Amino acid sequence: MSEATNSLIQATADHLSQFAPFDQMDAEHVLWLAQHATLAYFAKGEAVLSPEQSEPVPFVIIKQGVIQGEQGVVGAAEDSAWLELHEGECFPLGALLAGRPVTSVYRASSDAFCYLVPATDFLRLTRLSAAFYDFCTRRIANLLEQSKHLIQAGYSKASAEQQSMSSNLAAVIRRDPVTCPPDASIKTALQLMQEHSVGAMVAVEGAVPVGIFTLHDVLDRVVLAETDLSRPVIGIMSTQLTTLPPHAPAHEAALAMAKQGIRHVLVTDNGRLTGVVSEKDLFNLQRVGLSRISNAIRHAATLDLLKQCAQDIQQLTRNMLAQGVAAEQLTQIITTLNDLLTTRIIELELQATPIPDIEFCWLALGSEGRFEQTLNTDQDNGIIFAPKSDQTPAAIREILLPFAKRINDALDACGFPLCNGFVMASNPKWCLSLEEWQATFDNWIYHGAPMDLLHSTIFFDFRPLYGADHLGASLRKWLQQAAPKNSRFLHQLAVNALRNRPPLGVVRDFVTGDDHTVDLKMNGITPFVDAARIFSLAVGGSQTNTLERLREIASPLHIKPRDIDAYCEAFLFIQLLRLRLHHEQNEQGKPLTNRVDPDTLNNLDRRILKEVFRQARKLQTKLALDYQV
Amino acid sequence: MSWLAGYFPKKPELTPQQAERLAAWQARPTPRQDHPINASRYVVVDVESSGLDTARDHLIAIGAVAVTHGRIQLNDSHEIVLQQTQASDKDNILIHGIGGTVQREGTPPAEALLNFLEFLGKDPLIAFHVAFDQAMIKRALKTFLGLTFEHAWVDLAYVAPALHPRIARSTRALDDWMGLYQISNYARHNALADALATAELYLVMRPLLAAHGAESFRDVKTLEQNWYRQSQPV
Repeated sequence: MSEATNSLIQATADHLSQFAPFDQMDAEHVLWLAQHATLAYFAKGEAVLSPEQSEPVPFVIIKQGVIQGEQGVVGAAEDSAWLELHEGECFPLGALLAGRPVTSVYRASSDAFCYLVPATDFLRLTRLSAAFYDFCTRRIANLLEQSKHLIQAGYSKASAEQQSMSSNLAAVIRRDPVTCPPDASIKTALQLMQEHSVGAMVAVEGAVPVGIFTLHDVLDRVVLAETDLSRPVIGIMSTQLTTLPPHAPAHEAALAMAKQGIRHVLVTDNGRLTGVVSEKDLFNLQRVGLSRISNAIRHAATLDLLKQCAQDIQQLTRNMLAQGVAAEQLTQIITTLNDLLTTRIIELELQATPIPDIEFCWLALGSEGRFEQTLNTDQDNGIIFAPKSDQTPAAIREILLPFAKRINDALDACGFPLCNGFVMASNPKWCLSLEEWQATFDNWIYHGAPMDLLHSTIFFDFRPLYGADHLGASLRKWLQQAAPKNSRFLHQLAVNALRNRPPLGVVRDFVTGDDHTVDLKMNGITPFVDAARIFSLAVGGSQTNTLERLREIASPLHIKPRDIDAYCEAFLFIQLLRLRLHHEQNEQGKPLTNRVDPDTLNNLDRRILKEVFRQARKLQTKLALDYQV
Repeated sequence: MSWLAGYFPKKPELTPQQAERLAAWQARPTPRQDHPINASRYVVVDVESSGLDTARDHLIAIGAVAVTHGRIQLNDSHEIVLQQTQASDKDNILIHGIGGTVQREGTPPAEALLNFLEFLGKDPLIAFHVAFDQAMIKRALKTFLGLTFEHAWVDLAYVAPALHPRIARSTRALDDWMGLYQISNYARHNALADALATAELYLVMRPLLAAHGAESFRDVKTLEQNWYRQSQPV
């Protein structure tokens, strides 16, 4: 056997180099890999690897065809395919690194050619190539890193255009200019301005601007001058016009305004008016920053201002996505700002209609309770209160419910739709005293009826948002004691959670519905959230955030930190995908959904998504084992 | 008698080292014909030549890929390009992609062919349409090493249809079989790439060979011969 490289070895290396992680490795290491590879054929249905085989497990890279992983004992009862691997993908990294047999059968689901590399050579390669080692030990993290670069590249352009003062005026213009002919009456012009709520009116002759009149001029030129409103508007207009071309940067407009003391600049293309840029438009470019938004929320005096803030939160999210802020921080920032928004709404409501002498706490439930809000989150909230000895809960409820209703409506106006299931503080069922909440939870844990289980997935993620925090803390403490005691309840929760399987396909990579989409929330996020909740309840954990819960259970449940990291990374990737998806839908003016067609993802993201579902399966397997489902 | 020289070419002159290598190869034992194919090494070959006339055109390259225990160890592959006294004509260069420079730069023929023999050992050869490859290799070995090459060959062009009698009529050329099994070829008409594709075809057929009870070289040979006889015009 010659160590020399011939065209076959070279062609093999070239082929491998099209796929991650080989595309990240030094050419000489890929060549080394090709020299140590054996090509094998597996007819459809033939096992490539199985737990029973006695010979050492090789490293397998698919040259051609599809290989399917079948879960062993655990998943044997159901349709057991749980992962599908395609050209360029490799396995079984876990078994190779741990030096153990594979736990699943890997079977060719079509005629397949695979490169096999002996385990000893695989291990040598992990020592030779840092990139390869990195991939094998933290493959999700690694694929994510690559994906993040792509996302940032995609967003940085859009965000630069949206955000910076160096973007051109064409991008800043928000609407078609509002114009009138020069001989229109002043009254007509003013009416038009009010109708379109614009601050400036431009007179045009065949699209060529000849004069401008702004609201600022009304006082001087109309009111104080007692001008006849039937006169032509051109008579009171400024005819010294400041114009800039559409490709001029925004800061040039700012400069012109500062120099000439004006508030509007006309944008003209070859003399024709294409838009009006106001001082406010330029200000808006800089408005969207974290501290600005939070200050704006804290000081907002009306609901309308808060609505604007809610929109700014969306814009901020977009900018942060572009800057590559990780999904964990991003969802936390969204939640924090939404908390502020809710707090401010409650404050304004209390100012308008004070509620004297009732100790209560506004509870965030569901995803808000978990600090995991994305952009299309409907509201899930409740109230917990403490009646004094001479008060009945019912009497307090009567006072609080109308108040809660107004807050729910205000949140709705700010873009948090009312909850379909009426999980809201204005629902008498979810506006309860501490004792009533405990009785309700106790009932769920004890009976575990289907509806109880469903409710517990929303309500057990509660956290105090506004008011008497200690009431929420007491309820949490009570739950930490009560939940671990009832293993039957936890078992039922596990059964329920395992009904929802990640959509890894048998025939294709993903199981999709008739619309060829997978639901990122239902199939992607929920398995992690559910499993983390159950484990957390079981160990008497205090966290509500899924990532925090996963970190919290690692030690009591003896889960390896590496596995926990993989779960967290997988969870965060789906969150990132969701955020991106929602932004795209926002941009296109479509309703926000969590459904994505895997075919529209790039190769890398598809692969990560598969990997993520695989991690979800793994976590579910642990759930199934622990609760004997 | 110079006109006879064309019919009885004089024995080529080998260096003592070359003669020694050739003798060492000849001394190697030939594997038994009833040895199980799953426990043997086979060498799949494909040749490129200056044309299709086995009497006049000359051998340019041999690509060889070994199949051991039913698998292809990628490193156990070999490619020789024979140094040509004159490069083949343009059309041919276009087909094989072996340009004039490379042809002239190749390995001196005796050396290249000895390398090939040492790679091959005495293991059986596999090709698609053996007759052509066999003739080209035989003549080259005679010319440059003075060796009469009597070797065991299996012809996939007869084995494949024997395993798939129903589609045999419509599936004749190597490309047909490649298409049937979706075997890709990284560089068609490159000897090594074609040898690899042929080797992959052989891998695909192994389960079928087993299904036909062909377990040894001799069994495969029987299968091939039967189909050969059957397919001859009566």
